[in-house]
Amino acid sequence: MDIDLSPDDLKFRAEVREFLSSSAYKPGADYGKWRDEWFAKAKAKGGWDVPKWPKEFGGPGWTPTQHYIWEQETAQATLPWDMPFGIGMLAPILMGYGSKEQQERFLPDIRARKVNWCQGYSEPGAGSDLASLKTKAVLSEDGKYYTVNGTKIWTTAAHMADWIFCLTRTQDTGVRQEGITFLLFPMKQPGIEVKPIITLGGAHSVNTVYITDVKVPVENRIGEEGKGWTYAKGLLQHERTGLAGISRSLVALEKLKEHAASVKRGNATLMDEPAFRAKVAALEVDLMALEFTELRSLAAAAKGGALGPESSIMKLKGTEIQQRIAKLTVEAGGIYAAGWGMPIGAKFARGGMASYLASRAYTIYGGASEVQKDVIAKNVLGIRSSQK
Amino acid sequence: MNFNYTDEQQLLSDSVERFVAENYDLEARKKIVDGEPGFSREHWRSMAELGWLALPFAEADGGFGGTQVETMILMESFGKGLVVEPYVASIVLGGGALRRGGSKALKEKLMPGVIDGSVQLAFAYAEEQARFDLEDVVTAAKADGDGFVINGAKSVVQNAATATHIVVSARTSGGQVDTNGITLFLVDAKADGIERYDYPTVDGLRASEVKFKNVRVGKDAVLGDVGKGFEILNAVANDGILALSAEAVGAMEVLYKDTVAYTQERQQFGHPLSDFQVLQHRMVEMFMEYEQCKSLLYRATMETANDSPTAQRTIHALKHLVGRAGIFVAENAVQLHGGMGMTEELRIGHYFKRIVVIDSVFGNTDHHLKKFAA
Repeated sequence: MDIDLSPDDLKFRAEVREFLSSSAYKPGADYGKWRDEWFAKAKAKGGWDVPKWPKEFGGPGWTPTQHYIWEQETAQATLPWDMPFGIGMLAPILMGYGSKEQQERFLPDIRARKVNWCQGYSEPGAGSDLASLKTKAVLSEDGKYYTVNGTKIWTTAAHMADWIFCLTRTQDTGVRQEGITFLLFPMKQPGIEVKPIITLGGAHSVNTVYITDVKVPVENRIGEEGKGWTYAKGLLQHERTGLAGISRSLVALEKLKEHAASVKRGNATLMDEPAFRAKVAALEVDLMALEFTELRSLAAAAKGGALGPESSIMKLKGTEIQQRIAKLTVEAGGIYAAGWGMPIGAKFARGGMASYLASRAYTIYGGASEVQKDVIAKNVLGIRSSQK
Repeated sequence: MNFNYTDEQQLLSDSVERFVAENYDLEARKKIVDGEPGFSREHWRSMAELGWLALPFAEADGGFGGTQVETMILMESFGKGLVVEPYVASIVLGGGALRRGGSKALKEKLMPGVIDGSVQLAFAYAEEQARFDLEDVVTAAKADGDGFVINGAKSVVQNAATATHIVVSARTSGGQVDTNGITLFLVDAKADGIERYDYPTVDGLRASEVKFKNVRVGKDAVLGDVGKGFEILNAVANDGILALSAEAVGAMEVLYKDTVAYTQERQQFGHPLSDFQVLQHRMVEMFMEYEQCKSLLYRATMETANDSPTAQRTIHALKHLVGRAGIFVAENAVQLHGGMGMTEELRIGHYFKRIVVIDSVFGNTDHHLKKFAA
């Protein structure tokens, strides 16, 4: 056991720092052009545009330590705007279960950030109990296409998406996890209606998607009919690890401390008040531990090949920490907590409330915390429950 | 960065695990704890033969040349069996002070005995008024002729009754809470003027209140430099925190796993208890707190072994979390075992008591949160 970065790792870190500073956005430059160039330069570094993709699909094939370094360094830098749905969520499914033709057809556009994807999972009647989904896909008599009807909800960025990857029901066998089929289809077509949902923070990022008589060719089905649940489950593990947001929390925590230290209290600051200070300290301790929990799980994954159910710990603890930081930022704002975005009080306090409100979703989406605990109880603790 | 054990570390881990599995079921431990001197001399000899008593000492001193990582591996397994032999008192604490501060002559005289187990040490640092502050030292050592005379009292000194030598912190100059002016002495446990009140502690270990009344020691009893003992004292306390935290992590593993096993056997309302989601979720929280403690233990231990500048702060974080999470796990283990968790019959309660005592040694959870935030 050794915590030191090896000479190779230090060299890698220097290279990452060099890359991030030389490719950084310069104020006034054309954002879209910069974004395209950034991804092109990252690609030329040997797959840095898709850090988590495996080597055989053009990823960099980093060690866990290199991933850790990348996370740490990029958390402090401003990276171009990106969406996780294609790169981080659909791509692993395509690599694992898609046909060669599907991989060649979809992966290059995902990598080039040319096509935006959204995820059609939740439905009005299927939230935490995702397997009870009802969006129906019926195969045509000639076996050439499915006709899809149903409603998806909480679909992030559906209003910006070109394509959707969608769980549909092709059969009712009585076992809910069976008879689910994984389909891909374009969003910009007749029969698809996207309606915005405005959330507590005032933002529009999620939507309801109504699907009426949309025809999807069978070539757009991933894997076998009826096996979609198995494929989606694998994807959820990827999604959950990504949601822990440890590096971002490390940066956010430092900001929180700065902000609290800027709030004057007599001759001292809010950071000197014992009750507030203790909350920040306890939070930092949990985050320090989680950093190493992530490293341990990455190291285990590197040895064993796949990400295990440990990723559920990451999501549970990671989102809870993000929420605590958001909450403490609102507390630090004091009386100005009431404003959200108005030009009153300290500058940091203005965005605090909206972030805090939005953060309440973190323990709900990607599998609610209570669902994560069910998963850990079953898969890690090995508890076989006779009730469900 | 690497989380794998080396081949040697793996061998060590395997052999300690085997030792604990073969020698430390609840019955065997009870026999040892209830008898005299409160630990097994036979086990102590085995530990010497297996080389464990040599682990943290330099090869030049006849040791194995290990770091805090090896001690962690050993202590985590000890925690799974609640081993009561005075490893922490004699090797980590007393031995830690001797290896850091002992003169060449003193080390040549005592180290072979420490390593073969014939010399046992105790570490007398705590005082009643000091609570958890290492630097709060009233016990005084006055220069007298070519030596010193020590007067004062130390509390909850583990292994004092069987130790051949006691390491004691005393003030040679400065005010009550100055870090400067503290000196460490290695005193013969049979020296004139030492009075002990021996007692068993709630976790099955033994400790003593030790009074020093005009205890005379020579200059050669000084560990390190006169007045400069705090640095050694603090380093030894840090090693103690790491060792006890590793023990606590081992104990937490047993607590959560026993609870998972028990709730799957115990039937109520026509179901195993583990069918109830409220209990499942509690056990998941116990498991996560255990994993979080283990992560921070790794981090603090490796940072200390590598002399990282952040090590001290991470040690505060660790002791805070081990207190907070350890007690959460222990209390819930008892709760989920119901009435059976309250009995001496199951091992749960014994692990619970050890975890609670560990929180009270070298600063509790609040003390270290304050230090961490300082």
